[in-house]
Amino acid sequence: MAHLEVSNVTKRYGDTVAVDDVSFDAEPGRILGLLGPNGAGKTSTIRMITYIAVPDAGAVHYDGRTVGPWSQQRMGYLPEKSGLYKRLGVKEQLVYLGTLKGLSQARAADRADYWLDRFDATDWADMTTEELSKGMQQKIQFIATLLHDPSLLIFDEPFSGLDPINADLLRDIILELRRDDRTILFASHRMEQVEQLCDDICLMAEGNVVLQGPLHDVKAQFGKNTLVLEFDGDDAFVDELVAAGQVRVNTRSAHRAELTLADGTSARQVLDRALDCTDELYRYERVAPPLNEIFVEVVGEAEARRMREAAAAGAA
Amino acid sequence: MSLSKIWLILRSEFWRRVRSKAFVLATLLVPFGAILVLAAPALFGYLAEQTDDRTVAVMDETGRLADSLVAASGERLTFRPVDLSTDSVRSAVRRGQYDGYLRLPASLLDGTGEATYYSMEGGGLSLRSDLDSRVNRVLRRHRLETAGASADVLSIVDSDVALATRKLSEGSGTTDDSTLAYTAIGYVMALVIYFAVFFYGQYVMQGVIEEKSSRVVEVIVSSVRPFELLMGKVLGIGAMGLAQMVTWAALAAGGMAVVGPVLALFFAPSDLGASPGASPDAMREAAGISVPTIPLDLVVWFILFFVGGFLLYASLFAAVGSAVEQQQDAQNLLLPVMTPLILPILFLVFIIESPNATVSVVTSIIPFFSPILMVLRMAITTVPLWEIVTAFVLLVGTFVGMIWVAGRIYRVGILSYGKTPSLREIARWATYR
Repeated sequence: MAHLEVSNVTKRYGDTVAVDDVSFDAEPGRILGLLGPNGAGKTSTIRMITYIAVPDAGAVHYDGRTVGPWSQQRMGYLPEKSGLYKRLGVKEQLVYLGTLKGLSQARAADRADYWLDRFDATDWADMTTEELSKGMQQKIQFIATLLHDPSLLIFDEPFSGLDPINADLLRDIILELRRDDRTILFASHRMEQVEQLCDDICLMAEGNVVLQGPLHDVKAQFGKNTLVLEFDGDDAFVDELVAAGQVRVNTRSAHRAELTLADGTSARQVLDRALDCTDELYRYERVAPPLNEIFVEVVGEAEARRMREAAAAGAA
Repeated sequence: MSLSKIWLILRSEFWRRVRSKAFVLATLLVPFGAILVLAAPALFGYLAEQTDDRTVAVMDETGRLADSLVAASGERLTFRPVDLSTDSVRSAVRRGQYDGYLRLPASLLDGTGEATYYSMEGGGLSLRSDLDSRVNRVLRRHRLETAGASADVLSIVDSDVALATRKLSEGSGTTDDSTLAYTAIGYVMALVIYFAVFFYGQYVMQGVIEEKSSRVVEVIVSSVRPFELLMGKVLGIGAMGLAQMVTWAALAAGGMAVVGPVLALFFAPSDLGASPGASPDAMREAAGISVPTIPLDLVVWFILFFVGGFLLYASLFAAVGSAVEQQQDAQNLLLPVMTPLILPILFLVFIIESPNATVSVVTSIIPFFSPILMVLRMAITTVPLWEIVTAFVLLVGTFVGMIWVAGRIYRVGILSYGKTPSLREIARWATYR
């Protein structure tokens, strides 16, 4: 199986630079998470990988060759918010999309039957897309992405519109695809999904890669500067610590707080304050920062808030 | 560019549409509509003729003309001499016994008085000219007789001369000039091309907008080049259009073959003015339903110019469709596409009247107009081959260029969402890498 190499690509639309000298690699048998807020250049980058657009500078190589119509045949792409032909039957649609990827009519029909069965969707074969629910449509699109057995898979927000059961089914299949040594790109706003699925991450902001590497290394790089506390009683001590500039609050509720230590603050100081002020302390743990906090640190609070809002809007 | 991909798309676009209920219905209903539109005037005319038989009372104060007028009664006009007072004739007309009455004063005989027709409803133009010519003919003959003209002179006065027009052909000899029929054919062909380009072009635009707004397009262009998708779609819908028109042509030909026998079922030959025992075809001709034979080269050029015009305009419609997410947003952007399509319609009448004027020659060679205007000129006049070939070569060159430009716009447009772009922005898309 082959790997994907994005080397110094730049893409401009008119006067806007959508992607600015971006490079990263994706390895077979691993899932690369492509992160960033709207407008970070994720979609533009993906379009260059899928040969929908060509870079103004730099190159994208797959299996050692520049991408082109040949690589489109070996690649499956599930775009964000993508759709299907409304008035076309489910199976006819799958077969059509399969033949466009180079499958024969008969082979495409066989593969469509196999996957419809896998998704318990055989009954839908003759229905038109407009008769299907949003979640059912998302499944059909997922099938269309896999139909021609691609070795490079690109999923852009694949879980949007799916209920938890179907989201689990999808995740299982993505992990199964990884075991088959395929190269998988996973683009998302949703940090928790990325943390669960990805082996490597590539963080983009304003057309640039701001952070990349294996997920563990990236987290280790930021050290264990995060504290998780669970307690009963007065939580005013948290406000005091913030006022003193010793910590920053990541998340906070009545009985739980996730704090980032400021430089020069020892974890011990926070523990002392917590023991003094709370009635009961159930949990005190020093952990690596969640991806979201890393992102805040790298690109700033404003950018991170934009991304959380986009994620919330996408989930709604 | 992969021809096999274009073929796959063409086939899917074609079948998807051809088997839809809307297409089947339109294909079957349009001929019905056309028959109604064409047959209605003929039918009304026929009915009108049936009820238009008029009986006219003649108050002959000359005492000499009544008999000749009665003898001159025709199919639609019957003269009845009456010898009643003006009042009683008038009441007879009011009762509906006569459609009207004609007063011929004695002074007519020396050529000074005037005949007067009185009726309730005034009568139409055709009745007026009918009456006028019959009264004049009878009166003129009578006065010539009185003046002692010989039988020879009388027969000369009575004879009518037919006017036939013949067209000089390029080589030697002459052909029948059916100017009127060929004008009609040219006019119909021009309108067919106009409507076909217009409607099938809209189809293409609608298809592009559907693909874009349902967001299926991004999946498709991760499998095929945008240009392949554009060409497959345009050709698929073009094939659908040709299939529809061929079906209509076949239905028309079939209709012509059965119309004679059908007429024979309902009418006697004499009803239609054909000789008794006329063949079904002769009856069809007599009923005024006829199509002059269209020369083969005109048919071939018609198809070529239709295909060229369709490809030219359909690619522009596709480019406009790619820039918007909803049909309504396309209105402003369509102006530069619709204007050159509608302009030739304004020239139609001028070209029919003077097909060989310089303006006619020039406009029929301009690529955006030639699909409509050159076909029209070819039908109504003899167009030098070089003009036709020049027009066609320019058309081909233009559509190749336009498809290239449209392809570049399309490629950017289908993936651009949000605000509807201005024409300027769209023009800039063509320059993107």
